[in-house]
Amino acid sequence: MTEPRARFVQTIVEVEGRTESRVVEMPAFEPAPWTADTPLAIVGTSAIRVDAYEKVTGRARYTADIVRPGMLHAVIVRSPIARGTLTTVDLDAARAVPGVRGVMGPGDAPAGTRLFRTDVGYAGQPLAAVCADSLDAATRAARVVTRSLRFDLAPHAVTVDDAIAPGAPTVRSDKPNASTPDVTERGDIARGLAEADVTLTREYRTQVALHSALEPHGAVCEWTGDHLTVWESTQGIFRVRSDVAKALGVPQASVRVLKDYMGGGFGAKNGAGAHTFTAALFARALGAPVRCINDREAEQTDSGNRPATVQKVTIAARRDGTLTALALDALVPLGISGWEGGPGQIYHELYACPNVRTSETWVYINASGMQAFRGPGYVEGAFGLESAMNALARELQMDPVALRLKNLATRDQRADRPFSGNRLDECYAEGMKRFGWPSTVNRLPSTVSHLRRGIGVAAQTWPTGGGPPSYALVRINSDASVDVLAGTQDLGTGSRTIFAQIAAEALGARLDTVRAVIGDTERLPYTGNSWGSMTTPSVGPAVRMAAEDARMHLLEAAAQLMDLPVDSLRAEGSMVLSSSGASMSFADVCKRLGNVQIVGRGSRGPNPAGVAIVTVGAQFVEVEVDAETGVVRVLRVVAVHDAGRIINPALAESQMHGGIIQGVGYALFEERHIDRTSGVPLNTSLHDYKVPTMLDVPAIDASFLSGSDTVANHVGARGIAEPPIIPTAPAIAAAVADALGVEVRQIPLTPWRVLGALAE
Amino acid sequence: MQISVNGRPHDLDPARSPTLLAALRDQLELTSPKLVCDRGECGACTVRLDGALVYACLTLTAACEGADVQTVESLAGDGTLHPLQQAFIDHDAAQCGFCTPGQLMAAAALLERTPNPDDADIRAAMSGNLCRCGTYPKIIAAIRAVADASGAAT
Repeated sequence: MTEPRARFVQTIVEVEGRTESRVVEMPAFEPAPWTADTPLAIVGTSAIRVDAYEKVTGRARYTADIVRPGMLHAVIVRSPIARGTLTTVDLDAARAVPGVRGVMGPGDAPAGTRLFRTDVGYAGQPLAAVCADSLDAATRAARVVTRSLRFDLAPHAVTVDDAIAPGAPTVRSDKPNASTPDVTERGDIARGLAEADVTLTREYRTQVALHSALEPHGAVCEWTGDHLTVWESTQGIFRVRSDVAKALGVPQASVRVLKDYMGGGFGAKNGAGAHTFTAALFARALGAPVRCINDREAEQTDSGNRPATVQKVTIAARRDGTLTALALDALVPLGISGWEGGPGQIYHELYACPNVRTSETWVYINASGMQAFRGPGYVEGAFGLESAMNALARELQMDPVALRLKNLATRDQRADRPFSGNRLDECYAEGMKRFGWPSTVNRLPSTVSHLRRGIGVAAQTWPTGGGPPSYALVRINSDASVDVLAGTQDLGTGSRTIFAQIAAEALGARLDTVRAVIGDTERLPYTGNSWGSMTTPSVGPAVRMAAEDARMHLLEAAAQLMDLPVDSLRAEGSMVLSSSGASMSFADVCKRLGNVQIVGRGSRGPNPAGVAIVTVGAQFVEVEVDAETGVVRVLRVVAVHDAGRIINPALAESQMHGGIIQGVGYALFEERHIDRTSGVPLNTSLHDYKVPTMLDVPAIDASFLSGSDTVANHVGARGIAEPPIIPTAPAIAAAVADALGVEVRQIPLTPWRVLGALAE
Repeated sequence: MQISVNGRPHDLDPARSPTLLAALRDQLELTSPKLVCDRGECGACTVRLDGALVYACLTLTAACEGADVQTVESLAGDGTLHPLQQAFIDHDAAQCGFCTPGQLMAAAALLERTPNPDDADIRAAMSGNLCRCGTYPKIIAAIRAVADASGAAT
């Protein structure tokens, strides 16, 4: 007898543009891919979101809705200054406030939490925390602590210009303000510039944008002996678990993270935060459950942001539009901390250009650190790259779509390898048809009206292959109801629905018998964070494999019960059907089996070698600009993207709407302001930080090409969530430039920037 | 202090919860109105107070003595959803769902006031309810569908 042996292989996974090599276990079997022609009954239909009923009836329980017996409330005291040393804090005054149960300040938290340090690097930095019987009491006590704070002030730099100026203040004690540039180059820029007939150099600037999820970051923590339960609003329950275990020095097995519903993430909720550690520490010290939820000011101040960029772009082409060189010199102020997302990547990927050079300098400033925000790096980079492409099209008097088709990347430009699938050319064609491009129909004569209309286009690419490890179980209960068990998250994207659809399809069960159970580190198999648009392509294949495994087991059992050969049986609509015409319902099979459990196991196999997996798309925009007030209105957006198989068209359309509408906000009015003198954020409310309302929403025609990416994975789906926000802002800016005849090179395109550009 | 919430009498302590939102959430554990901005900027805590649409976070508990408060739980009858709730489900008008109770309350008030709103009426009436997921087109479609169905019925 041979001993069963696991096989481990190396695979490449791309997360938000970063490439990682991982060792993964080969699945026991890989189902044949669902091709574009595979007849599917449930996958590909706009099934009703499985938790819609809970959401419309108010029954959906979010982290902030969790109430535990005897629960206390914690509030974090944050720095009112941007840079300096905390010299005095009076915690005893807070202890005297009625209802206060505990106070923590400098030195009271384990080093791993990085909480309550005296070295202040930004306004909003946690310095202390209070815990009380009620939120009101905790808030009052927090104010008492705030009033007691004394600092040795130090000079700060809150803008990139201030941080890199000669003699700039030291932003961080441990690192220089600016990194050495990260340079990535292919070909020879000098040769590319020499070959060009036209060379343009432009500086584009993008702003700091705030995620502004309506549900703030928050956690409820409760200890039972040495076991900690954490309810957290998060995109990654297993990441929160490892963060908490590491920071508190406890085994991961002692930490259970739960997440049922969450009110948006958009990239800012990928791990444990100050609120999590604060709640966990107070809960342990006080022997009671503790809730710690950011208020809105904390959420808009210190819960992550999309960093600003300064992008100096040089674009060079022959007279016929063929790109010969692309160069980017970028400054990215990360805040007090952050990772290298970066605007440079899309410059290397979107177009076939032999000579590309990007230089990215990461700059620390005295402001809260960045976090991934929907399409991090690519959104910022697309504004520079696509704006430069549109400027080049104007210079060459060439249609901007024709210019793009001339330089279409038909292979992955970074590694000179094929794509698993990339139909960007079809996206352009379909988008032009739907939009009526190039359109002159709606143009208003500028001589008779202060309202000017213009049209613009931009494109997008984003790595969306996902990858291992992700695991799922499919359990058929004795009444034939089905549980899909996977430790993933639904941010509002619809992953619960998607996985129920995939499992029902693969199992041959009715969708209404299948329920996806997610969001529990203790009782569900591991999946990764819901980031990088990779939940569906990462977890989907594991769910499908688990359901196929369960179906095979069920059919084996049915073959015994029906006394028929198993290969004559198939499963469909929760029935076992034989080629001879005999049938038996899943319910009858399970009833006969009693408590014999059918549990299918699935895991995500390695990614295919030697291919790039991307989602691409094109967006076409029409705007109306008031040349007297500078106000820009987006009238309509046509978006066509290629993401392989779409599991649920209605849910995918909702995600497209969301990305485009966030893109409208990014293009027109979202911008964090920090006062340069005080270093304090100025617009920390939802009134002052402008997110789009229903009045700002254009007519949106969003669609995906139909098909299936059988190379990427056996479900055929790539990611969809982040791509829609990437091209929206440059397409809007191009339409504004078209309307006015002058380019506004800094977003958001506020009235004064528009009027300023007009005045030049 | 006596108050009626969704047709049931309740006793509230205004000193414990200064705002109606805090009172509903903390004393009655009625969590459908959401705490998002706590200053009347987002609409996630929208409820009806004696029929009027209010932000619960800006409504003082002490001013609600004897009042009749309705939250999204009041929309559904016994076993049947309000047409707007059904339309929100059918049109996928909730992504993360955090703003949804407030959106539904605002939409219900709109249709009572203006049974057949045009697109501009809907956008204006709903502009005080933020949705960061950007579900607005589907919310408009859901409201439109209910208005059209009731128009066809009369």
